[in-house]
Amino acid sequence: MVPRALKRLFHQATIGDQSYRFMFKPGPPGEVVSFDCETTGLDVRHNDIITIAAIRIRGDRILTSERFEAVVRPEARIGVDAIKIHRLREMDVAAGNRIQKVIPEFLHFIGGRPLVGYYVDFDVRMIDKELIGLKGIELPNKLIEVSKLYYERKYGDAPPGTTIDLSFASILRDLDLPVLDQHDAFNDALMTAMMYVQLRDMRQRGVRIPRQRQTERPQATIA
Amino acid sequence: MPNAFDQNNPPFDRLTPQELETLRRSVDIGYYRPNETIIAQGVPAEALYVVIKGIVEERTGDELIALLGPKDTFDSHALVQGQSGHAFVAREETLCYVLPRPVALALIQSNPRFATFFYLELSRKLDAMARDEEDSRVGTLMRARISDMILSPAAFIDAQDTIETAGHRMSEIDTNALFVRDGDRVGIITGMNLSKAVVLKRLPITAPVGPISHFDVISLAPGDFIYSALILMTKTNKRRVAIHDGTAYIGILEDIQLLGFLAGNAQLVAGRIDRATGLADLSPAAKEIGEQVRLLRRQGVKIDVIAEIVSDLNHRLFAKVFDLVAPPPIRTNGCLIVMGSEGRGEQTVRTDQDNGLILAEPVDAAVLETFGRDFAAALESFGFEPCPGNVMVRNPAWSQTVDGYDAAFRRWVAIPDLNVHMDVAILYDAVAVAGNAALLAQTKAALLEAVRGRSAFMVHFAKATEAFAMPIGFFNNLLTPDGKGDAVDLKKGGIFAIVHGVRSLAMERGLTETNTAQRIQRLVEAGTFTRDFGRELTQSLYFLMTLRLDAQLAVAGASSALVRPADLSSMQRDLLRDAFHVVKQFREIVRRHFNLGAF
Repeated sequence: MVPRALKRLFHQATIGDQSYRFMFKPGPPGEVVSFDCETTGLDVRHNDIITIAAIRIRGDRILTSERFEAVVRPEARIGVDAIKIHRLREMDVAAGNRIQKVIPEFLHFIGGRPLVGYYVDFDVRMIDKELIGLKGIELPNKLIEVSKLYYERKYGDAPPGTTIDLSFASILRDLDLPVLDQHDAFNDALMTAMMYVQLRDMRQRGVRIPRQRQTERPQATIA
Repeated sequence: MPNAFDQNNPPFDRLTPQELETLRRSVDIGYYRPNETIIAQGVPAEALYVVIKGIVEERTGDELIALLGPKDTFDSHALVQGQSGHAFVAREETLCYVLPRPVALALIQSNPRFATFFYLELSRKLDAMARDEEDSRVGTLMRARISDMILSPAAFIDAQDTIETAGHRMSEIDTNALFVRDGDRVGIITGMNLSKAVVLKRLPITAPVGPISHFDVISLAPGDFIYSALILMTKTNKRRVAIHDGTAYIGILEDIQLLGFLAGNAQLVAGRIDRATGLADLSPAAKEIGEQVRLLRRQGVKIDVIAEIVSDLNHRLFAKVFDLVAPPPIRTNGCLIVMGSEGRGEQTVRTDQDNGLILAEPVDAAVLETFGRDFAAALESFGFEPCPGNVMVRNPAWSQTVDGYDAAFRRWVAIPDLNVHMDVAILYDAVAVAGNAALLAQTKAALLEAVRGRSAFMVHFAKATEAFAMPIGFFNNLLTPDGKGDAVDLKKGGIFAIVHGVRSLAMERGLTETNTAQRIQRLVEAGTFTRDFGRELTQSLYFLMTLRLDAQLAVAGASSALVRPADLSSMQRDLLRDAFHVVKQFREIVRRHFNLGAF
């Protein structure tokens, strides 16, 4: 596999559509974008994006008022199993736009800002699959993986043999974050954004997440 | 905005779908690290905040005013007035919805119901909440179940029994409907059926009831909703529903009872007390008084009215018991008084007995003792627990002549002792319920005379207003995981301070009212505090009493005044914060008035 940094240089040099050069410039200082895709399945090669949601984060402020949300009209049929997970039926996505229109809008929303996600590689590969065909490039943005930030805060100094749990639910519980309806791209992106701002702050202050919690705190719910 | 935004969380539940959409489009989420200031004191508030997670401290200077948790909104005052009187600081990692001020103000302007949340005066907020409660009252009523109601007893007669037997049976057990057993069939016969059979069909009273009974009985289970009964009666045009618990018939629900349940039937209870000819007749009426509280509250009747109705019923009950058990020398010579919350007319859920006797002239000790024992025992059998402080007619100290009391008062004012203060306090709240009321008036005049000009005594008396710490950090229990501890004691934290502070000010002025709201009214007239503050204080007292009553009704049989903020709605928590704020101001007034700081 070619490292992303090398790919980035290659794509920057070979980009066909010069109007997308902004992707290679750094975004506004202090801004990142949390994003999530819902897809027809977990196989990048054969499955497609159904929805994309992205939220800008400026400093400690999650800018839900400036969000990006798009529903994609799929080329292929949606698998029954996927419908069960994200609860979007074909009729729900029929009103969406073609991926060729959605991807450029998404690129303009994120610009050169770093991307924050949970298992962000998967979402990036789903975007890249479309992007390479459209513009001849892959996403050049810096990636921030929240499960990695969480791992550092909780397991960074763990003795060998510690059972490691990086599940989305565990992160929510440890950070006492509200559990929103999952498998909705916007909610997932929002929860990821909440994880990010708190984990980043904890890293700055050098605060660790205790591995054995003395007391279970009740989950805050706002759903 | 977040789909996740809880639109059911007051005050946002009052917004229309379009307004919610405006909200969604403009709200951001802010993250605040521990000790980070969200709104600084005296600085304009740029936004309205709703806590998503974490704890926020409300501070003024170094003083902690309150702790806010998830779903709490701040700071409505800062939003409306343009700047914050208090500082808001994150206590731990905190996330808040941030609604820009212009958007919030636009919503306040366009939506009057939403705006009520931002009123500056607690009393206006409470009025608005009462209106909202009224809107939902039909809903709560309809969630009541048949088991919540008093049913006619399930009494059976045989189909072969005569009309005469049935009539006597109904009269004996004071019911208007009986079950009729005819082999395997069960039917119902009513007083009206009997009358019609005899008057219209000219049947002899020796005729069997079988042929005139109805065997097309409709029935429901105790767990069914009241509204099911209402619908069933309407559909079938029947006035009675048999209640069957799965194994047997346990009672009959009549339309009149249903109406009584919907409309309340305090007048029926009063009638039952007045008609009683023996203690045995009073027992069911005494039980119904307790049930009235729940009914009245469910109907959304205001706390002061509930307390007035219940006090009136209790006083009738006591007066009747006095009539039944007091021997002639006491009846002609004495005055029965009730004291404490019963005397102030602020009792809702039954507490312990606080009663006494004032005599015009000495009565034989043995006669007094017998009366005291009988009276207390009768009340105890009705569910009034004996007073732990023994403030009861059976205690000779509370069963004296006017002169005896007067002598006691003169001893009391000389000893600054907390128990003495409480004795003075409860006697000052006394009202006469039976016998010669003039005796109480004389006794109270003697009490006021004994304390008049005794400023040292008054200061010590008033000092009890500060006996309990304000539950400022009462949102702490959001921090405790299991919800244990840290519940707010409304009585200690607020109700007692208001009642006793007002009592102290009233007694110093020699007022004769016993009800706290009436005393406040008189103090306002006397210029002790402003009309506005008097209203805020009264409304705060009523709000705390209502919360306490709801807590007591929720836990059957509990007389506790504990409320867990986590169990309250965010709207109630907001009001509770405001109410405690009023209590705090009031304590300050009492403190200054009696110069308590010097002691």
